[in-house]
Amino acid sequence: MSSPMTKRRRPLSPHIQIYRPQLTSVLSILNRITGVLLSFFSVWLVVWLVVGAEGPRSYAVVRGATTSWIGRIVLFGATFAFFLHLCGGIRHLVWDTGRGFELRSIYVSGWLVVAASVMLTVAAWAVGLSTSAG
Amino acid sequence: MASDMRSPLARASGLGSAKSGLRHWRAQRLSAVALVPLTLWFVASIITHTGSDYRAFAAWLRSPLTVTAMVLLLVVLFYHSALGLQVVIEDYVHSRVQFAAVIAIRLCSFAMGAAGVLATLRIAFG
Amino acid sequence: MIITASDQVPRATLFKRFPVPRNFGVAPESRIGLGKAWAAPTGARRIKSFEIYRYDPEAAGNPRLDTFEVDLDDCGPMVLDALVWIKNKVDPTLTFRRSCREGICGSCAMNMDGTNWLACTRFISDMGPTAAIYPLANLRIIKDLVADLTHLFAQYELIEPWLHARSPAPERERLQSPEERDRLDGYYECILCFCCTSGCPSHWWNGERFLGPAVLLQANRWLVESRDEAKEERLDKLEDPFRLYRCHTILNCTRTCPKGLNPGKAIADIKDMMVERQG
Repeated sequence: MSSPMTKRRRPLSPHIQIYRPQLTSVLSILNRITGVLLSFFSVWLVVWLVVGAEGPRSYAVVRGATTSWIGRIVLFGATFAFFLHLCGGIRHLVWDTGRGFELRSIYVSGWLVVAASVMLTVAAWAVGLSTSAG
Repeated sequence: MASDMRSPLARASGLGSAKSGLRHWRAQRLSAVALVPLTLWFVASIITHTGSDYRAFAAWLRSPLTVTAMVLLLVVLFYHSALGLQVVIEDYVHSRVQFAAVIAIRLCSFAMGAAGVLATLRIAFG
Repeated sequence: MIITASDQVPRATLFKRFPVPRNFGVAPESRIGLGKAWAAPTGARRIKSFEIYRYDPEAAGNPRLDTFEVDLDDCGPMVLDALVWIKNKVDPTLTFRRSCREGICGSCAMNMDGTNWLACTRFISDMGPTAAIYPLANLRIIKDLVADLTHLFAQYELIEPWLHARSPAPERERLQSPEERDRLDGYYECILCFCCTSGCPSHWWNGERFLGPAVLLQANRWLVESRDEAKEERLDKLEDPFRLYRCHTILNCTRTCPKGLNPGKAIADIKDMMVERQG
């Protein structure tokens, strides 16, 4: 590698380090990140069921952890991740039918996904909190 | 790289087309479609049952509709999750670890799904 | 907020780059250092700063970022005009590809203010306060803004972009109805500038095996060609978890195409054909 005849390797031009984040790439990576997060959250679902099968005492521990303030924050994040992945996923399924590829449609559907996810998260928590309060 | 003296076309061709890939893509989409109603049912169930105690939870899970939906949810969810994580690994991991990682993901997903299904059935019929 | 055509440049952006360290995952030979600064000529009134990626294969050292101040009153309206002005008046060693200066040859494709476009059809007035000019992303750099497109053209050759016809040649032309000809619209216009492929994150991570939007758009061009008789072989060649299915519909390609084409849609059509032929 130190021989003068050896050409040094050509540098690689920067990509993610300089490329502008656009609605296209940002929503796409968010769909992936929320998907991976949800994979981990689904383990919680299994834990909840397995503990539930054990009996009321162990169930109460898991329930306590989930309804603690830290548990609620995580749950809120999980809800938002779920709705973002759901709406983003539906957007993907629409693309798979061949529709919605014009730039205007891509951007309108993209912003709709963001808005719908926020609204659904807020709505779900409103219902959930009122149910537990009532 | 000095050690790679293949022509550009040879390098681009690699080992040729695997002639497969549709199965995985289609399975991902089908499981996604199935998950839309299943997950919405699940979230709706959670938010309408918050604050209920163990007895209410067990009673809810014992209903035949709930057991069926929950088992379906677990199976399809972990299948979809395994497929998705496999794609993520294939995208970012290019060393020998990739093969082992994909196998690990599939086994863990299966184990999680099985554990969940068994627990559901225990609560429902136990 | 709502982009309706790929030539729209948003006025304001929340993030100019992804929140990763500047040298995130960058190999030592690719790290960019600080370069020289060249001030505007005296008496210039409308000045704009350009930060341009430089790399000299003959000299030792890493790539660097040079800053040039351009006199906008002395220079044409497009970014290519600025580059030519710099080459003529300031630094003749600045190297870049260019030819037609009208957006049809594809030579001057490069990354300007974070997005890939042709320098000859990008207005200087659409650039930010300091215009950042980089070569096309994720390619080996030969010199300055000249990228090595060998692998991309090899991937293009891989899909055999010519007519495959076993039927004997007819007396005159191979016939095609107007409807069949219309199906080529939106695909034959590709100028192979590779802005799309270079802007595709999936190609960044898997460019060795993933064909990328430009090549797949051309693959679709030949798949919808009514005079072509090799659809089976073409689809067989594409059906691969990497060659075709690394596309996750990120759609940076459609966003960035300087000719307004839609590689995302073309790839979706190929995937549709894959499903259709399985029944």
